[in-house]
Amino acid sequence: MLWNIDLKKIPELLTFIPDDPLFFSTSLFLILFSVFLLFYNLFGKNKTVRIGMLIFFSLYFYYKTTGYYAGILVLLATVNFLCGKWIAGTEKLPLKRIYLVAAVIINVAILGYFKYTNFILEIISNIGSNKFDALDIFLPIGISFYTFKSLSYVFDIYLGYIESTSTFRNFCLYVFFFPNLLAGPIDRASAFIPQIDSELYLSKEDLGKAVLLIIVGLIKKVIIADYIGINFVDRVFDFPLRFTGLENLAAAYGYALQIYCDFSGYTDMAIGIALLLGFKLMDNFNYPFKATSIADFWRRWHISLSKWLLDYLFKPIQMSARRLRVLGNAAALLITFLICGLWHGAGWNYIIWGAFHGAMMSFSLFIKEPRAKLFAVLKIQNTRFLKFFQVLFTFHLVVFSFMIFRTDDFQNIADMLNQIVNFFHGEILFQFVERMPVIFGLMMLGYVFHFLPNKLEEFAQRTVSALPLIGKAILLALVIWIAAQFKSADIQPFIYFKF
Amino acid sequence: MISPELKKVILKQLNLDDFNLNDATLASDVPGWDSLNHINVILAVEENFNVKFRSMELLRLKNIGDLQKLLDSKLSK
Repeated sequence: MLWNIDLKKIPELLTFIPDDPLFFSTSLFLILFSVFLLFYNLFGKNKTVRIGMLIFFSLYFYYKTTGYYAGILVLLATVNFLCGKWIAGTEKLPLKRIYLVAAVIINVAILGYFKYTNFILEIISNIGSNKFDALDIFLPIGISFYTFKSLSYVFDIYLGYIESTSTFRNFCLYVFFFPNLLAGPIDRASAFIPQIDSELYLSKEDLGKAVLLIIVGLIKKVIIADYIGINFVDRVFDFPLRFTGLENLAAAYGYALQIYCDFSGYTDMAIGIALLLGFKLMDNFNYPFKATSIADFWRRWHISLSKWLLDYLFKPIQMSARRLRVLGNAAALLITFLICGLWHGAGWNYIIWGAFHGAMMSFSLFIKEPRAKLFAVLKIQNTRFLKFFQVLFTFHLVVFSFMIFRTDDFQNIADMLNQIVNFFHGEILFQFVERMPVIFGLMMLGYVFHFLPNKLEEFAQRTVSALPLIGKAILLALVIWIAAQFKSADIQPFIYFKF
Repeated sequence: MISPELKKVILKQLNLDDFNLNDATLASDVPGWDSLNHINVILAVEENFNVKFRSMELLRLKNIGDLQKLLDSKLSK
């Protein structure tokens, strides 16, 4: 019965349940957001009401995800708002610098406490060969994203890129805004805050784009990433020696696709949801596996983070070390990517992953001229032939780097590489396809769509925009239904090939 | 207005025969002027005009017009 609502469930809706955070791909979020969107459109014409609704829903969303730690958001918003105001309020450079340093210390201390305390204590106890007991520190989800987001506001004021915002309310909305709170994009205040005061308006094209992004995001996150992760990638990475080289290689490709679909799918949904609320967030991914170099990869992968690191970390180091010329660039790249690695998580695998990317790019700087000469001699500059091999080579470097990203057990990576080189057994390809048709199909779907021309996306956007409202709703409902089938599907039987 | 001298230094550093530079031009609009090559353009300007910029001054630059203004302020000292 539709009206047979279980009243006992209402307190559950209002309280934080640690094992059940409110992610976009949960059915609870979809229901709550639909109701919110309805009220938002009914009453959101008034700016004050609209902003109030967004702030209230964002705080509720974060409380449902992380409990009373949601208070950190309010603390960070207050600190960064005040520091921004004080920096803007003085002409004295030393004073501006003091406020900036204070903001950086407070943000990094909060982030550091929650994210890195145990990692640092473990390193210290390892040095002293003492037994290490991890402290019970809860990690509030999204903390790395929103500390970086709110810190960018302080940096931008310090660098003279933006004026400080006069209303604390608008700044709170920028920091709390639930669509990009947990996993970015790490939007800039300069782009976001002016949108708060503009009229709520959604064009037909924007609506089409939003629906398409949510659909594509759900397909990437729930159907591709989660499914191939649980049913294939995890199994091979856990026991690489039980599988042939072909399966190990497929799992390495699978993991690269999984992490891309998981992350970009989530931010696609974030951008789509924000658009439905009348906010345009920055792009975060641009077909990263089409990159022709590692530097190009970072212009396409997690763009909001790489732009953040470029503006607030790489450029200041580079400018200070500019007299070292190419060495200055190389040092700035290495430091930036070490910190980029550490930002992703408190573990050696992340640090080594970052160092690997930094080292690749630094190395590339030193061979820039001989490489250009070689291409000139071979007469292959700007040819499709060269581009094809650059994409192929970069893709494999990236796939390898994600193997490091996934595990700090280097024996595991060595085993996988060893299987690929010494126990490949390419002849089992047909057997593999036959036994795991869904995995194979999803991986093909993911990669084929990735490498198709970008025009396809524009075409899909135009097509969805042209659909009547009911058509968009049916399409969205259909994808949600399919995603739910994949989500509730039993874990696929574990099949591996014995030889 | 971008002075012919500054334009010459920038274009030479980037190996460009000609490119229209005005106050509002961004580094990213100019072929070859990427975040890595930025270091070389700035050093070329400092060496050719015999001036020294502070890192903070360089980080605040938004476009080539700002670079011209910064250079002019150093040259007039």
